[in-house]
Order: sequence, then structure tokens, then C-alpha cells
Amino acid sequence: MLEKRLVLVSGKGGVGKSAVSAGLALLAQRRGLRVLAMEMGSPGGLSAHFGTGPLEFEPRELRPGLHAMQMVRSDALLEYLALQLNIKGLTRFGPLARAFDALATTAPGIREIITVGKAIWEVREDRWDIVIADAPPTGQIGSFLRAPVTISELVPSGRIRVQAEIMQEILRDQTVTGLILVTLPEELPATETAETITWLAKENVVATPIVMANRILDELADPGTPPGPVGEAAQLHRALWSEQQVWLDRVPPDHLLPYLHGLLTPGEVAARMADEFELIT
Amino acid sequence: MTRTLLITGAGGVGKTTVAAALGVRAARSGLRTLVVTVDPARRLATALGVEDLGNEPQPHAGEPNLWAAMLDSTASWRAVAMRHADPDVATRLADNDFFKAASEHFPASQAYAAADQAATFVQAMAWDLVIVDTPPSGGGIDFFAAPAQMADLVGGRLLRWLTGGPLPGRRTFYNLAAKPVLRIADSVLGSDLLERVAEFLLDLRTTYDGVAQRGREIERVLSSSSIFVVTTSDPAPVREAIKFYRDLPGLAASPAAVVFNRILPEEWADSNAPPGTSLALEQNLARWSAETVRQRDTREEFSSRYGARIATIPWSSSPPTDLDGLGRLLDESKELPWAEVGIS
Repeated sequence: MLEKRLVLVSGKGGVGKSAVSAGLALLAQRRGLRVLAMEMGSPGGLSAHFGTGPLEFEPRELRPGLHAMQMVRSDALLEYLALQLNIKGLTRFGPLARAFDALATTAPGIREIITVGKAIWEVREDRWDIVIADAPPTGQIGSFLRAPVTISELVPSGRIRVQAEIMQEILRDQTVTGLILVTLPEELPATETAETITWLAKENVVATPIVMANRILDELADPGTPPGPVGEAAQLHRALWSEQQVWLDRVPPDHLLPYLHGLLTPGEVAARMADEFELIT
Repeated sequence: MTRTLLITGAGGVGKTTVAAALGVRAARSGLRTLVVTVDPARRLATALGVEDLGNEPQPHAGEPNLWAAMLDSTASWRAVAMRHADPDVATRLADNDFFKAASEHFPASQAYAAADQAATFVQAMAWDLVIVDTPPSGGGIDFFAAPAQMADLVGGRLLRWLTGGPLPGRRTFYNLAAKPVLRIADSVLGSDLLERVAEFLLDLRTTYDGVAQRGREIERVLSSSSIFVVTTSDPAPVREAIKFYRDLPGLAASPAAVVFNRILPEEWADSNAPPGTSLALEQNLARWSAETVRQRDTREEFSSRYGARIATIPWSSSPPTDLDGLGRLLDESKELPWAEVGIS
């Protein structure tokens, strides 16, 4: 994954998508890459895992080689209009910017293409070796990944359409773009992951995803159940372990990430994730 | 008088299970209870008897006083807009590319449809208690914000800016479209794109009065409901739960409780394995004990920082698969505000 230029990390809400994004960014940084970590969706997840305050649209260097930013639609829109479409002299509150902003909230695909477009724009910059995006959850990822196609279908001509076609090529290019789907071995996340994989195969809008199953328990070596908390904890562990096997069989992941017991801060979680990735990459 | 209980929280925390378990308890205490769920896991859907059901509440075959309904997750504001549109407008909307695409992608769409349906059930006055398992988007906050967002969308921010307020005639709009600013926009977006968006917005705007009025009704139902926020002790769902204490004021009442699900027994926190325990079991206890401590710290911090009433439900090693299992789930719960459910 670290050989790609753009890695999108998605998954059902609550499965550890931000932790995986942050862990991957930390590993890339350890390996000496120039990294941009981008929070695409609602603020909070990624910045918590880096242990920084709220992120801004302007990338901030968190440690040598690692920058992080928060996607802000209105800022991205202005940048897109100015840099990609060559419309100069816009201010955030100017009439044209406001018209576009209103259009972006209403017209389908535009909000999404601005978000995806920002990530792709950064990939084409030489500032970064890799852009790692904590992408929207699987429930919404389809409309983001499909946005360039949606725009091409709706917009008959014009510069936006040309941009949309370039974006499609970059997203489909296996050597440039990677998609990680984070999941849990539980019914709802596993089902949603399977549905997302099917959808992606059908739509062919992005490189083939790799699946990472999070919070994996290991099998308990001792079958005993002594009285008291020792036995109770063993029983719970075994029951959860067997339940996990059912879903691991149905939606086989490419990588397993361990259950992290008793870790307090998201920062610790991200660092442990990076250690895990060290082993598999 | 129908009491309404909204079960909110992030996805994957067991919200639907908690809603169903509360429903079974309420029904067994004699309250005519409707449980409204969104996208339940298969086993739970079977237990509730909603596996093959649509939006219409169905009485449960094995439990008098219990009804269940599953919200249609494909229902959208498409249906809402259509309901408030004149027939010819509805036909034009149905043919408009933007309406089709927007009704599939508008993020608050599912939340709005769910809130609308839930309000309909409450207004029917057919039950003593309606328990609504809210859609997980935005941790459930979207559900409360959806009626206003819907009215805002239909009210047309773009259109209001272009026309300066009142509902314009078509001719007015096209005169305005000759403004230089819009000609630039047209060259960027491609010919007639803006025109087609405008047509869609104009048609949609005729539904504004109907949609806004319905939105106010829905908001009234939501603001007089009790709220339980369900979470696990993991950071991501806890962050979502915090939103209900920080962001909700104004949209609805404060939550009656935050319900921590999947709680490990307190006594594990200070437990050590007795001499003679195998290494595997000793290590296993140590890691679950560390997890117990983390859970306790999370709850204490939540309570001290937000002054929330904290309720807990133990981590059951086998998820309930039938009504009796659901009924037992809350046997070991602590501090649930039963009065809010109408159970003494």
C-alpha cells in the first residue's frame, strides 16, 4: 500500500477506519515518506488518533514528514475554482463562490467531486510521496468514488467534465490508487463490506480493495474454565472468538488486526496499528 | 397519550438490540408497544418478526402488546417531495436528472424519511409507547436535524440568492440567468447545466409550504420524545454520544441516559488469577481486566464531564436470538431510567 500515491480508507462507522488511516500514515512517516493524511469526512477521528487539536484545511506538519489536513468543502471549492478551473479573483463570500457553494450543496456529485478532487489534486502535486485519506464510511463511499462518473453523465461539456475524466483515470489506476476497507468480524460490518465489494466490482470506479478485519481475538490455548473471573473471562473470550470465526469465513479478509485490550488513548491505538502494519508490509 | 422513546447512537453499538429489548419489557409490563427499527441484523429481525415486513406495523405473533415495523431504508425525500407536489410538477420532477440523482444522494434523506415515518406512528395514537431505533448516520444527530435541512433544501438557498426571496416566476429567473456571473458559471459547468438545476429547484420549491409544515410537525414529535443514547466504551461511538450532550440542545430534549452497552463485570478490574492458573488463562484475564478498567474510566469521564446519567448493560457472550433472550438482556442492566419508558 505504501507504494501507491493515494490510499483511501473506508469501512462501516465504528470499525476503526480512522485508526487504520492514522496507523498507515505513521508507518509511511517512519519509512521516510512525505505523507499527507487527509480527513475527508466529519472532523474528529483522524485528529484524535494523531493526538493533535482540530485539523485545518491548510496541511499542518505534525512531525517531520507527516502533514495532516481536514477537508473543508467551501475552502476546497474555492481552491478548485481557482487552480483547476482557472477562475481567479474569488473570495469566500463573493457572489460567484456563494452561487457555486449553494450549487454544491444541491446538485448531486459536486460536493463529492470537490472532496475526491482535492485528494487527487494533492496526489498530482510533488509535495507528497503518498496521500492517505480517512474516507467517508462505506455507506457513502459509493457516491464519492462514483462522483466523477456521475458528473460526466450529468455535465455534457465544459472544464468540469474534463477534470472528471482525469479523476476517473487516476482512481482506476491500480499503481496509483489503493482502497482499504476496514471491517469487523460481526454481522452488520461483514455484510456491509461484502455488499461494498460487490458494488465496487460492478461499478469498476476504483482499484480493487483490500480488506482488513479489525479487533481479531486469538484462540485461547487452554480449554479450561476454572471458577471465578478467570473462567468467566475465558468463557466470554471463547464465545466471542467463535462468533468472529463465522464472519471471517463468510467475508475472508486480506489482513487481520488484533483486538487491543485496555488501550486508553486513540494515539496509543494508532501507534499500535503502525506496529502491526510494519509486520504485514 | 403516546410516549415516544428515541434510541440513538453510532452504528454497531447494539442500538437495535437495546430498542428491541426495551420493547419486549414494555410489552410484557402491559404497554401497547411499537418498536420501529432500521436495517436490523437478520437474527434480530427474525426475533422481532419483521423479517419480511415493510413500513406497516405488524403485531408480533408470539407477544401480545408488541408491534414491530421496519423503516424502509430506500424510502427517500423523493417520496416526500412527490407527496407535496402538484401532479404536473411531480411528473416534471420525476423526469429531471438532478432530482433522480439528488434523491439518491442527499445525505439526510434516509434520516428524514425515518423521522417522518416515526412521527406518523406517534401521531396515530394507536400505541402507549413507540420506540424508535434511529438511523446511525451522524450518530443519530441527522435524524433531529433532517426536518430543517429538508425545508432548507426545498427552500432553495441557491434560488433565494438568485431571486432574493419570494417564489419567483420562471421568466424572472431566466432574466437573472443573463447576469455575467452566471454566464461564467455556465462556461465552467457546461451549457444549460445551471438551467436544468434551476428548473429542478423551481419545481421543488413549489413543495416548500407542504414540506416545511410537515417538518414542523415532525420536530414537535421529536422534541417531546425521551432519548436514550447507546454506546460502547470505544472512542469512536463515545465521540458520537458526546455530540448528544454538546450539539443537541435546541433540537430536542437532553438525553435521559447514556446507555453503555457490552460492559464487563466490575469485579474483573481488580482480579488476579489464583496460583496454579495456566499462563494462557492468566494472560486472558489480565487483558480483559485491562479492558474493564478502560471501560470504567470511560464511563467516569463521561459522567463527570457531561453530568450524564450513566446506565449499563452487561456484555452478553451470545447475542439474543429470540424474544425471551431479548427480555433477559436487561435483567442485569443498571440505572436504566425505566420511568421514561413508562415502566414503574
